[in-house]
Amino acid sequence: MAITILPPVVEDAHPYEADSDDPMSEEDVETGISRPHKRPRLQGKSNIGTGIVTPGEVVTDDPQWMRGHGTYMNPLSTSIVATVAGKVQKTNKLLSVHPLRARYTPEIGDLVVGRIVEVQSRRWKVDVAAPLLAQLPLSAINLPGGILRRRTSADELQIRTFFSEGDLVVAEVQSVHQDGSASLHTRSLKYGKLRNGVFLAVTGTGGSAASGSTVKGGVGAGNSASGSSLAAPGGSGTGGVVRSRRQVWTVSASNGGGEVNIVLGVNGYIFISKNSEGADAASSTTENVSITRMEEMVSSSIYSSQNDDIPPQTRREIARLAQCIRVLVQNGVRVDEDTVTHAYNASLQVDLEIGDDEDEEDEWRQEGREYLEGAKAQEILELVKQQL
Amino acid sequence: MSSQRQASSASQVPHLSPAELSYLYTSLSLPKNPIRPDGRSPTQFRPLSAETTILPGTNGSARIGFADGTQAIVGVKAEVEKTVLAADTLDSRSLAQHGDALNREGEEGSAAVSGQGEWVQMSIEIPGFRDDDALPVFLSEMMRESLVGSVAGGNEDGVKEMAGGLKGRLVINKRWHWRLYIDVLLLSQPLAYPLPLLSLTTHLALLSTKLPKLKSTGEEDPFFDDDWAAAEYLYPRSNTSKSSPSAAPSYPVRPPVTLLVISVGENVIFDPNREEIAVADAVLAISLTRSSDSEALKLLSIRSIDPPSRLTQPGIPNSENVNMLGATAAPGEESGGQEEVEGVWRPRRGGVKRSVIARMVKTVLGKGGVGEEVLEGLEGVEVQ
Repeated sequence: MAITILPPVVEDAHPYEADSDDPMSEEDVETGISRPHKRPRLQGKSNIGTGIVTPGEVVTDDPQWMRGHGTYMNPLSTSIVATVAGKVQKTNKLLSVHPLRARYTPEIGDLVVGRIVEVQSRRWKVDVAAPLLAQLPLSAINLPGGILRRRTSADELQIRTFFSEGDLVVAEVQSVHQDGSASLHTRSLKYGKLRNGVFLAVTGTGGSAASGSTVKGGVGAGNSASGSSLAAPGGSGTGGVVRSRRQVWTVSASNGGGEVNIVLGVNGYIFISKNSEGADAASSTTENVSITRMEEMVSSSIYSSQNDDIPPQTRREIARLAQCIRVLVQNGVRVDEDTVTHAYNASLQVDLEIGDDEDEEDEWRQEGREYLEGAKAQEILELVKQQL
Repeated sequence: MSSQRQASSASQVPHLSPAELSYLYTSLSLPKNPIRPDGRSPTQFRPLSAETTILPGTNGSARIGFADGTQAIVGVKAEVEKTVLAADTLDSRSLAQHGDALNREGEEGSAAVSGQGEWVQMSIEIPGFRDDDALPVFLSEMMRESLVGSVAGGNEDGVKEMAGGLKGRLVINKRWHWRLYIDVLLLSQPLAYPLPLLSLTTHLALLSTKLPKLKSTGEEDPFFDDDWAAAEYLYPRSNTSKSSPSAAPSYPVRPPVTLLVISVGENVIFDPNREEIAVADAVLAISLTRSSDSEALKLLSIRSIDPPSRLTQPGIPNSENVNMLGATAAPGEESGGQEEVEGVWRPRRGGVKRSVIARMVKTVLGKGGVGEEVLEGLEGVEVQ
């Protein structure tokens, strides 16, 4: 049980016909590396929209198409060339290439999770998985001390006591600069330093194109689970966090796990933590506290780097939730409140079924049962797909 | 992210906040039953996919991929080389004996029989690293050392080819020998300390390595059989595999495997990922092999790897945090920061208990232990 070694997975979907009498092609099939010797160009009308193009590849020669995102057109020719690796998408006569992986493009109002990488004199530089580091000015955070006040030189001197290198923050994009870098702010009770949990970075497409296509495709549209290629319900092909109604919510975990908070940053950074009682109390009493008092209550814990006492049950459920999200991402399913909740319930169900089957198994086997990413991943996926 | 990942892979320390480190450490050090961030049991490895003989131009090759996308390819190439006795012995032996001709004569004889460690060359390529960076050099030396050093006393089993271990196997005759080039290629960013992945891949590649069959005898210049089908395995297999090809072949002698083990608190954890290494008290690389005369495993080497946890930033307890309401407390008692506060990360200062090390070794080597399971799992991989 300690180690599982699987045979290599052979991709059965060969985009191009391999010559059967060629000894090399047989070798290719054995090794699972599909390597077309010479990639035929996608030409004509019928071929566009199939398969994956690589940067520099001619998508079409046909002059009837207009070029969209992810493509380039040489001024001297009519051929459209892909500039990113991804899938060709057609919208009427507009041809665009949707990248397989893209960095996050910040937009105003996005909820992001970031990691402080640099402390400067009056601001922090934050890694938010965007092409450029985002900045978080000292003037855009809630200063402790109760009332809303001007920042002072004392605050500038002790800037590291608020956030220091490596710290995780949840923030909102306040503005986007000309070069695409973002300015963040944490001027809300919901935002601030993260603790009491685990962080995971998923390969989020995150960008506006991804979320747009998800909305367009609709949930579950044309989704046929064929073989191993489980496409995302939105049809975008890659999983990841998408902009949705709720990016932060609380799950009441089973197995005595208590309340667990999940923060899905639009940038693909995720934080799963124990719901701390203090914040809960503060938010429940906000109705009858004035604005200034509210600041006072929250600031007591907003810059803490000390974890609360977290019982093992909660830790176990946090690990389970993290695994559920990883399973979703590895199989190209988008991550939002619905899918995570479904996956979590599915994982519980799978565990129940297995628990019935293997009751008499020895202790050794019981130990590895919390690992979801192996054999259990497919079952969880199937259950999630049924619910969508 | 790219710049950060580059920096963190260079130092092998992911940037984690003190709160995360504290959470991880506490989870992993829970007595008896640690909770790993990916839900594995302490001795469980990540599932991996493996195949051998994938590169047609090599004597032996293998590929292993983890589920998280990290992959390694190893190719083994062999080359016939003339044994330059005098120069080699001079280089490798101490210069004090250099004048003594008689002494040198004696050493020539022993060198020709036992082979030399430098006949095995290993190069490791990791993306983002120069090949003279510390990590690839250290890794390759660590793996080469156990490979060359594993002298199996295989005389009882009649495996006389492996009498001097791998070094002895490379000797053709007194004047000629094989030189083995092992090229290890990590195809992805090192998401964790890549040692176990590279070691397992190298193991498989060596198992699948074939050398052409020697036709000449004695001290003649070597002359080989053209027929590749007649080639012999570098690591000979027992004949049982020929009678029943379906059964997994059994190897009297096997190349060593190096496993990465960490200890967190009292717990011993195998195949750690990057976050787990970041909070480890001690990181050990344990090399083992199966000795031919008995079924028991043999410990070849233990090396400790500098745990990155000591370089991390400490957390600030609430009582000392100036931003907390308790900031009014007298800041004069700074010395109180040395003691452990529940939920606050303190960088590990290194050091591990003797009993923990003993348990690590026992878990690896013991009957039905992790080492046996890993070797069994690798035996299951079909080697053509």
